[in-house]
Amino acid sequence: MGAANLSNAAAIVGAAESDVIGYPEDLTGHKVTSLQHHIQAIKNVSVQTGIPISDIQGIFSAGWSGELAEHLGLKPRYLDTTSVGGCSFQIHVHHALAAIHAGIIDIALVSHGEAGWSYRGGGGGGGGRGQISPGAEMTAAYGTFGAPSQYAHAMVRHFHQFGTSQEDFAHISVVTRDWAQLNPRAVMYGKQQSPFGGPITVQDVLDARVIAWPLTLYHCCLVSDHGGAVLVARPEDARSLRTNPVWVTGAGESMGHQNILEMEDFTATSASRSSAIAYEMAGLGPQDMEMAMIYDSFTITAGITAEMLGLAPRGKGYTLWKDGHAAPGGRLPINTNGGGLSFNHSGMYGMQLLVEAYRQLSRTAEDGVNGIEGKQTQATTCVVNGTGGTLSTTGTLVLTSDDR
Amino acid sequence: MAYNKPIPPQGQHTKPFWEGAKAGKLLLPRCQDCNRVHWYPRLICPFCHSTNLEWIEASGKGRLHTFAVQHRAFGGWAEEVPYVTAYIDLDEGDRMMTVLRGVDPTKPEGIKIGTRVVVEFEQANDETFIPFWRVAEQSGA
Repeated sequence: MGAANLSNAAAIVGAAESDVIGYPEDLTGHKVTSLQHHIQAIKNVSVQTGIPISDIQGIFSAGWSGELAEHLGLKPRYLDTTSVGGCSFQIHVHHALAAIHAGIIDIALVSHGEAGWSYRGGGGGGGGRGQISPGAEMTAAYGTFGAPSQYAHAMVRHFHQFGTSQEDFAHISVVTRDWAQLNPRAVMYGKQQSPFGGPITVQDVLDARVIAWPLTLYHCCLVSDHGGAVLVARPEDARSLRTNPVWVTGAGESMGHQNILEMEDFTATSASRSSAIAYEMAGLGPQDMEMAMIYDSFTITAGITAEMLGLAPRGKGYTLWKDGHAAPGGRLPINTNGGGLSFNHSGMYGMQLLVEAYRQLSRTAEDGVNGIEGKQTQATTCVVNGTGGTLSTTGTLVLTSDDR
Repeated sequence: MAYNKPIPPQGQHTKPFWEGAKAGKLLLPRCQDCNRVHWYPRLICPFCHSTNLEWIEASGKGRLHTFAVQHRAFGGWAEEVPYVTAYIDLDEGDRMMTVLRGVDPTKPEGIKIGTRVVVEFEQANDETFIPFWRVAEQSGA
């Protein structure tokens, strides 16, 4: 089929530049950073059009969208940071047109800032040498190293607000090992595969080496290698293939912050917003979900996300695992591949979520490659939630099986 | 002993902050239109999108919002493990990251969210004095 007719589906309603362009240092005595060019241009186009910056719902830029959203204090529902060279901005307009036509957003910002001369020598696209984000500048001194060092702060805050404990979250690790034992391709399939492999106990989790208290090693995901791909097709083709289609019934995205310094509530992510959008699109709610694939970079990530997706009350996400609901044979299977904690985690785990959700809903989880008896669930609906950055950005899908 | 941990490169939008730190003062950006303080420093108020910003001298007081105890570190920080990283709710509003001093990292259960904290500065090089926060001696700080 041809593309939907997007002709006149949206219009460019204003266009402005930053205050001083060309060689700002010669004109003003000061260098102007790439970030400044962005912010000035955004302010100017807002003034020009009378559209408040707070009305912007989608942010399109060549690699800057997260930084810009955070700097502006926005919580966008459409993020596009496509960076493919000088034509990126034409492509952003095209993507914005599609997003507006689809009814996802009403107002899109396409922004550019590049101190190409003043900060030359830093390579293309990234803003140039000698510039630092003020958020990075104000956190660089304080001895955090990678994701666990930061996620630990969220778990402590969860303890404080909800009276939870290391032990509560340890159940999440234990259950993912149970699932891993049904998946021969899981890194933690068994003790033969890894000394840390399944099964494990809550006490094992508590006794493991401390990485960043309260996170012990077993509260942390794996670091491994992975590749994956999915294909998405129009309905007519999807129905004519020999594979079973799994329908994208709902989708949503959002972000809370880029730097965890800006996380308003350390026990809450933007998954509350991205899932609300996805559920609304699907006409389904958390009560209709029969399984879930939840990014579990750490046990705290999975616990919080279950709350954000409405699968458990606030502060009680961990109970899905502790009470066995998320486990093999439970009423709401979660992370049926073993998750990032026990199956595989390559750094950006969202693809593994998608592959497993497809396998479950297409009834191929026990295809002889990735599953043994007990792995295939009967779920006809699945909420899939990826969390990116440092509890920063979320994308939620509501997927449904063809036999639903 | 020379300071052996990462020293933040100073960007060009934060000069007043670093000059203040050098003088032992905590300076924070405030919007002159909505009067709200924000952290980290912005080119535009993240609350009302005014560019009418100023730097104010803060009280240097706050409360512990949350923390973690780092057991795995590299470079100069590796010599300090375990140590407590933390987020501080500033009395003037918004939040700052730090390494928290005056607590026992081997007894995290004894570290209380909401504890009063005060800022202090450590010289890292000629131009850089880094703010760190410490548990206040007196509970009424």
